[in-house]
Amino acid sequence: MFTSMEKKKILIIEDDSILQKALQEFLIAEGFETLSALDGEEGVKIGKEKKPDLILLDIILPKMDGYEVLKAMKSDESTKNIPIILLTNLGSLNDVEKALDLGATTYLIKADYKLEEVAKKIKEVLNI
Amino acid sequence: MGFIRKFNIKQEAEDLGVSVWQAPSFLFFLMGLFIILVMVVIYFISQFYDSPEVLVISESVVVVVIFSIGNSIIKSMEQIARVNKMKSEFVTIASHQLKTPLSQMNWELELLLSKNQSGLSEKQLEIANTIRQSQETMARLVNDLLDVARIDQGRLVLNKEKVDLLEIIDAVINNNKILAKSSNVEISVIKPKKLPEIIGDKKRIAVVVDNLISNAVKYIEEKGFVEIKVEEGDGKINVYVKDNGVGIPDNQQNSVFQKFFRSNNAVRYQTEGTGLGLYISKNIVEQLGGKMWFKSIEGIGSSFWFYLPINNDVNR
Repeated sequence: MFTSMEKKKILIIEDDSILQKALQEFLIAEGFETLSALDGEEGVKIGKEKKPDLILLDIILPKMDGYEVLKAMKSDESTKNIPIILLTNLGSLNDVEKALDLGATTYLIKADYKLEEVAKKIKEVLNI
Repeated sequence: MGFIRKFNIKQEAEDLGVSVWQAPSFLFFLMGLFIILVMVVIYFISQFYDSPEVLVISESVVVVVIFSIGNSIIKSMEQIARVNKMKSEFVTIASHQLKTPLSQMNWELELLLSKNQSGLSEKQLEIANTIRQSQETMARLVNDLLDVARIDQGRLVLNKEKVDLLEIIDAVINNNKILAKSSNVEISVIKPKKLPEIIGDKKRIAVVVDNLISNAVKYIEEKGFVEIKVEEGDGKINVYVKDNGVGIPDNQQNSVFQKFFRSNNAVRYQTEGTGLGLYISKNIVEQLGGKMWFKSIEGIGSSFWFYLPINNDVNR
């Protein structure tokens, strides 16, 4: 059912290469197409160029942090409707709330979530 | 008795991790003694010299000395508070640093065990599964430490999502099946077919249920039973977990929900355990508007139970 649809493009903005690769591999196996960025600047650039269907966004990133990326994406007319799921290990009220205030759709905690749950959350947000 | 215990200066200094002369009680005591002493001295001085100047000067000296003792009391309190803050900051920072490699292991192992497991021999799979369990245990420990630090700082964040308690309880029982089997423990459940959804934090409620059930299983000596009962009533959902385990000694029952508490007899049967589970569980339940209690008789068993309120807005 899912494979017959057009593949959904997921942009992963995560500077940890191990996590980045693990996410890519799992999501590809789940039938998604992935794009990757290892810092915030690259993330915004790819996001604006390729218009992914969804963005997974780390908070602590080189060059531009997750909050700045959020602001950049949400202030651009062409990217502001792309749902953004925060990847975090912080899980403290302030950080998460700040990101949700800036327009992030939801968040997940890397050390606690299984890849399967990440994929489930993505599907939930994309309604598939 | 309580007063004498409170006035045990040496004990206080040890508890607070400062030297005896820095302990607030000691400094207070010193100040009190000094005031009495000085009053006596001033009394005698005023007997010999009938001049207001001498009195004013000696009064000033007294004020200066009292002020400086008061100052050192404040200083030592400040130091204690600072050390305390540093400690919880250290726990927070260390745990966060530990979370990055834990996340990596978490996802890499999952990849190995899900999308990439073809070609692995049975033995290799078994080893990978064991590593996975160790990773989960460690993640749990780190989360517990972080949760305690958050609770202590009053900033534990709970998700607000729809929660099906029956689903959680089933999953937790399932997770504890292997442990129960290996310890000869029979788990039985009495539950309604359906429960209204509640609003709370799924993962953390699962932690609460798991703490109660795995504790019950772990502290059964040889063979025994764990009875779980779930029922709805009065706008609440009650969950009971009863066991015929080692129980908690009478004189230690007051500290069951304190952090790092482990009862004497529990330590004898189970060397593992941090004593954080119940402290965290009680705090989670209370933050969700519920309550947690227990009853226990040493050698006979314990029952723990909690309730969570049903949020009517969701179940209309």
